[in-house]
Amino acid sequence: MPEMSVFPGVTRRDFLKICGGLAALIGVGQAGVADVAQALEQIAKRPNVLWSDFQECLGCSVNLLQSRTPEVANLILQQISLNYHEAVMAAAGDQAEQNFWDTVSGGDFYWIVEGAVATKIPGAMTVHGETSMDIVKKTYPKAKATIAIGSCACYGNVQAARPNPTGAKGVAAFLKEDAGVANPVVINMSRCPGNAEDTLAALTYVLVYKKLPELDSVGRPVFLYGDLVHNNCERRAHFENGEYIESFGDPHCADDWCWFKMGCKGPVTYAPCPVTRWNGHQSWCIKAGPCIGCSEPNFWDTMEPFYSPVPDINAPGIGGISDNTFTGILVGATAVAIGAHLVGTTVTHRLRGGGPMEPSETLPGSGTGDEGGE
Amino acid sequence: MAKTTVVIDPITRIEGHLRVTCVVENGKVTDAWNTCTLFRGFEIFMKDRDPRDVWHYTMRICGVCPTPHGWNGVRASEMAMGVERMDDNTRLIRNMMEASQIAYDHILWFYVLNAFDYVNVPNALKAKPTTPTLKAVQDTLKTFVASGQLGFLANMYWDNPGYKLPPDLDLELTAHYLQSIEMQQTANDAGGVFLGGKYPMIMNYAPGGCTQLPGLEDIITYKQRMETVQGFVDTVVVPDLLAIAPFYIDLAKVGRGVGNFLSWGVLDEKSQDPYDRLFPRGGIYGGKLVAEKVDPDETKMYTKHSFYPDSLGAGKHPLDVGQEPQEYVDLAPVSGSALPNPKYDWTQAVRYGAQEAPMEVGPLAQMLMAYLAGRTEAVQLVDSTLAAVGAAGHPEILISALGRIVARVLKLKINMDNAQRWADDLLANMAAGTTAVNSMPEVPDSGEGKGGWDAPRGALCHYVRIKNKKIDSFAAVPASNWNFSPRDDKGVRGPVEEALVGMPVADPAQPLEILRLVHTFDP
Repeated sequence: MPEMSVFPGVTRRDFLKICGGLAALIGVGQAGVADVAQALEQIAKRPNVLWSDFQECLGCSVNLLQSRTPEVANLILQQISLNYHEAVMAAAGDQAEQNFWDTVSGGDFYWIVEGAVATKIPGAMTVHGETSMDIVKKTYPKAKATIAIGSCACYGNVQAARPNPTGAKGVAAFLKEDAGVANPVVINMSRCPGNAEDTLAALTYVLVYKKLPELDSVGRPVFLYGDLVHNNCERRAHFENGEYIESFGDPHCADDWCWFKMGCKGPVTYAPCPVTRWNGHQSWCIKAGPCIGCSEPNFWDTMEPFYSPVPDINAPGIGGISDNTFTGILVGATAVAIGAHLVGTTVTHRLRGGGPMEPSETLPGSGTGDEGGE
Repeated sequence: MAKTTVVIDPITRIEGHLRVTCVVENGKVTDAWNTCTLFRGFEIFMKDRDPRDVWHYTMRICGVCPTPHGWNGVRASEMAMGVERMDDNTRLIRNMMEASQIAYDHILWFYVLNAFDYVNVPNALKAKPTTPTLKAVQDTLKTFVASGQLGFLANMYWDNPGYKLPPDLDLELTAHYLQSIEMQQTANDAGGVFLGGKYPMIMNYAPGGCTQLPGLEDIITYKQRMETVQGFVDTVVVPDLLAIAPFYIDLAKVGRGVGNFLSWGVLDEKSQDPYDRLFPRGGIYGGKLVAEKVDPDETKMYTKHSFYPDSLGAGKHPLDVGQEPQEYVDLAPVSGSALPNPKYDWTQAVRYGAQEAPMEVGPLAQMLMAYLAGRTEAVQLVDSTLAAVGAAGHPEILISALGRIVARVLKLKINMDNAQRWADDLLANMAAGTTAVNSMPEVPDSGEGKGGWDAPRGALCHYVRIKNKKIDSFAAVPASNWNFSPRDDKGVRGPVEEALVGMPVADPAQPLEILRLVHTFDP
């Protein structure tokens, strides 16, 4: 018999392989494998996880079901105790609610939230006759950590698009603005849908290090969201060369040219998509079309129209685009590269709620494309 | 005899948020109400947006079936932009995406969303495993149960006598449940991931056509993965259905519902005629098995029993209704005998045509339309299934709770058996030098368009009206809007409410039968 590890039925060798995968995901590399293994082995009991669904489409849960690392069956049978998940759990109604509230009163659980909290029309989101506001108020203080998966639970997402008819808010904003929690601690795993594999990596980080990862100004783990999509995009070289897809169906789609002119929001979007990718790390959006910026707060209002190029960016072979609709003004034959650092400044500025960028702030940097980590 | 009110809130293992209230008298449901407990307001916040972006919004209506929501959104907006016909490559790419979606969706439903209503997982511990795989699954289950942390399996009605399978079958189905998770991923990979970029929320549609012609390697990947899934459907899903159906044959006698069926059709043939689709468009009334022509513009909305002003619906066309939520809605608490208030649902009641008929939608409707249109595969599969249960020549017995499950599995099989055809035809187009996909049209000052293409769970149509180059009005009428309609202005129950009436309930504290019936509609 192979040596048993903390996961029943998993050999020591496979266990270390899993640890290696998790270590890579949480950004500690091979040096951290032993740490991860030790921490997981010390967990005698599978950690209790509650997964709540509020104003959502279930897309994050569907992405959870697409997870390969960890494999879903291993996750729910051997790694965590998923005591509540409306789409997965067997029980319904009163019995389901008993599972939820028994776990909450025990206080020994991690809470994952999918979906926004309805604040203007509280009755727009109820479970078992309780509003999403009441459920958050009662559950948040008891959770060992709260993770918001997907842009709904992070920032309200599509239902919060203007005029936000139901007053949809992310969990952290609701706690701060409506529930009197001065400094709510929520790990925001934004994007639409939420990426479950990355979210489980964040949960692993918390389980292993017993602390929160460093978060950016909108609550996202820096180890995952610290860089622009544009900086790690495999099509970046085509951007630098001024090689753009000019229309959908363009023969250069086959050459994997850059989607910038078709409206790609990669230059103003912080997310690990090009690195960790999706659905078992097999693929990501750029393979099929331009990025719509789904990891950024209020992207439905700030990124639209999705098929118009990002304004105020100097792109190689194009120059500055000052209008929402691309007008095709060529300022010179020489490619003018943008610096990643500069675009970062643009986004940070917008997130702070600043006014329009001054033209001087969008001057091109030296731009070799390597500055991403700055 | 005892009369009691049974409330299930939340109905779990579905997409969305649903409460069902039933009055149970003498062991049977005598009245029922379904309540969607979520409102988001798509019709409100999509107003004045760029019409090219419609499909990105509509995919977020349902994260379980974003692909048909994408099809309907992109089709409605491109039609409003003057694109009447898809180029043939776009038709085939969209079919491949849909075939991948249908495969994943129905496999997910059969096992993850539905199986626990029939498969008693703890009972599998009593089985005598006949293969190393089954032994390994049973060992994993033993360890799981022995840990005392029952997690996602906790507190189900496992001691309910309504579970009928012998332990060996419970174990086998549990093993297939675990295998199905990988298979629905494989199905999603085929279209959603390798053609669409990721899943859910694909990226390769665009008004007018698709973003690009897929690469050869991705088309081959699609073919390989769909072949793997086809093997799973033929050797596991269909045999599983045939193995468990005899134990639950009583479900063929209950849950008949309204007997009216509607499908807009799905999976386009070359003509792009909706009556020519693999699953053709059509309507059936009063259980009379004759398919009639139907028109998405004959869809009518009613709001007397929904959380909107009574006058909002009043039989209007979806584009003329909009949404005007009431400021605050007080749902009756879940306890005792409280019945719903007169207004009890965020869903608007949707009815069809001059008859203002409540219509059942879904795989049963889709299979009936294919059968009545004489689609060879549908006729053969339905007839052989009927013969196998001793009901040759009586397709009407499909109109039941069990019939919905059978229809979903047969439809899945037909989908798999045609999945290669879309890819092969695309390859043939490419080999013949037809490599174009339409590019994006200009947004006109005004225009109107609609979809009309079934999601796996039933008839789905999005409607778009453009004015001043912006979205002037948008309306979504998805499958659960039809099936889970509340009562209409005349007080007529919706399809699920009607199907629930007459359902036997052995133990109101464990309303397993209600859960089963609701799940047959795949909410």
